[in-house]
Amino acid sequence: MATTGNSSINAKLVLLGDMGAGKSSLVLRFVKGQFLEFQESTIGAAFFSQTLAVGDATVKFEIWDTAGQERYHSLAPMYYRGAAAAIIVYDISSSVGGTPLPCLHVPDA
Amino acid sequence: MDSDDSVTDPNPHHPDPSLDAEPATVEQMGSLTLGEAGDAAGAERPVGNGFLPADFYAAAGEIEVVEEGSPVSGDLAGPSSLGGPGACRERSGRGDALPSPSSSGYAGERGSSGGSSEIEEADDRETMLDDWSRGKRHPDEDDGSVSWRKRKKHFFILSNSGKPIYSRYGDEHKLAGFSATLQAIISFVENSGDRLKFIRAGKHQVVFLVKVPIYLVCISCTEEPYEALKRQLELIYGQMLLILTKSVNRCFEKNPKYDMTPLLRGTDAVFSSLIHAFSWFVFSNPKPKALVIWNPATFLNAYTCLPLSYSTRQAASAILQDVADSGVLFALLMCKNKVVSLVGTQKASLHPDDMLLLSNFIMSSESFRTSESFSPICLPRYNPMVFLYAYVHFLDVDTYLTLLTTSSDSFYHLKDCRIRIETVLVKSNVLSEVQRSMLDGGLRVEDLPLESSLRSRSLTTPELSSSQSGIGGPSGLWHFMYRSIYLDQYVSSEFSSPISSSSQQKRLFRAYQRLYASMHDNGTGPHKTQFRRDEDFVLLCWITQDFELYAAFDPLSDKALAIKTCNRVCQWVRDLENEIFLFGASPFSW
Repeated sequence: MATTGNSSINAKLVLLGDMGAGKSSLVLRFVKGQFLEFQESTIGAAFFSQTLAVGDATVKFEIWDTAGQERYHSLAPMYYRGAAAAIIVYDISSSVGGTPLPCLHVPDA
Repeated sequence: MDSDDSVTDPNPHHPDPSLDAEPATVEQMGSLTLGEAGDAAGAERPVGNGFLPADFYAAAGEIEVVEEGSPVSGDLAGPSSLGGPGACRERSGRGDALPSPSSSGYAGERGSSGGSSEIEEADDRETMLDDWSRGKRHPDEDDGSVSWRKRKKHFFILSNSGKPIYSRYGDEHKLAGFSATLQAIISFVENSGDRLKFIRAGKHQVVFLVKVPIYLVCISCTEEPYEALKRQLELIYGQMLLILTKSVNRCFEKNPKYDMTPLLRGTDAVFSSLIHAFSWFVFSNPKPKALVIWNPATFLNAYTCLPLSYSTRQAASAILQDVADSGVLFALLMCKNKVVSLVGTQKASLHPDDMLLLSNFIMSSESFRTSESFSPICLPRYNPMVFLYAYVHFLDVDTYLTLLTTSSDSFYHLKDCRIRIETVLVKSNVLSEVQRSMLDGGLRVEDLPLESSLRSRSLTTPELSSSQSGIGGPSGLWHFMYRSIYLDQYVSSEFSSPISSSSQQKRLFRAYQRLYASMHDNGTGPHKTQFRRDEDFVLLCWITQDFELYAAFDPLSDKALAIKTCNRVCQWVRDLENEIFLFGASPFSW
């Protein structure tokens, strides 16, 4: 949920996608300006925050970088509940038949 | 290769007249028979590992298959798995393009082995420097590779339908035939209502652990005792449960041929670091010099604490307790594999095995160091069926806080708790004390007080070391481990200079491991004391209701003096107990 203060906005952002797609690399680049050629697998989900100035407003992102392994799929709702935005990441070089989202099980809710 | 199989005391049962070395403990010490083995020069080498009576295996194994002299590589390769010309399929390019051990580690991924194409683990010394934690080694091998067959210690997890789940070396999928063979052996015996414990084949021992629907197998020529290998399989099973919980069994109920490998994706580093803790493992960081650390927790069933002054540990415990009262199940502050403080709510208590598996999981997963994280984790000894949720945050390079809860939506609460805890720890200097203790190290045998009048010395007051420094402690004491049975904790001395080499440390680890197994052997034990001399060490073990002491001395040490020294070690540990043990964190009632 995005909450608006005076001119500051809190926004929860979640990254979803299969393992090895590049979710952690994207987040690390965005939050810390880093890029590692070999990024270790994320366990569970890693939490980051990053504040950006957009025009007059300040946006504080609370970012959930979720693990892409199959064993964590059923937990995805726990992390994306209440998110203002989701980034779905897939690897264009390995996705079969143009289905970018084999991992995404849309929950009942 | 190990040369630690030179134990020379197959029959340690001569009463010994010199037991009155320390009158105060004569009853305990005297209640068991001490025997001194012949001296090293006259040592005869018993068949087998020598530590156990010759009939041990027959007694312990319900089924024993002995195929003397046949190399395991030929015998265990299943029918489906080559053994013929395929045996030479080793990839010739394996040694190419290997990074130097000092390269960034990441480049060392993909099974590089430190430069040599020699079948490593002849003493996997250099090899794991840069890749022990970086995922699977040698993924290109399979059971047809010569190199694969020469590995000294294999571990496999498979399903009871024969599907591979995990293999320490090689690609699981390429090992399908081999797994099927293991499964066939196990189920053949199970079908007749019996249970396969181990097979001996020449130098190799094949140990089985059945946890339907999961099978675990170790194939080893390290001469470790059966009980030790079985315990290692139990820990590997526990590590798997920590990641997945036992509810993974349901997948097999629905589909017996279920392929479980995708569920463990990305966890190779977790298993390989656990396996290294079974013998010894190497940290290349932060010091450039390789530092060998072995983890006795893998066989002692106990955990160890970072030495800290009583008030420092109290300060840490107080803030953790504060947090635990607000709905945290366990709050655990650790530095590497050592506990700074641990607090549990009400009656919950944390088993030492769970602590070992949890700290291994956290330390071997780089992901936890990058940011704070919130992950499902199962503590197999606490409840193997359910996930708890772990908030993990590294306060510095080695020190991490773990908050465990049953509620999946308490991340923000735990984050607040962590901020509170961190603030207090920094303000009260606990963190800097932790870092200092890490640098100072633990007990040194050279500091063992010579006279009982010196007892009250504190760990935290630096002192002049005795004139004997450089040659170990008094009376040739080189090393000791003391386990408090009531507390489920152990303390282990630092390595003194006579055992500064990694090969000597590895020998000591294996010797302790066998000493432990022989002391706790159900067939001939349990024993109360044991004195043993071989060409590497004099080993003395003493078990009472309250503690277990394992000590290693110079091989030429005098027995009466060694016994006396052990009594002093026990007294010293008791004098320092407030600094080296954690008291009253939670009821440890296992």
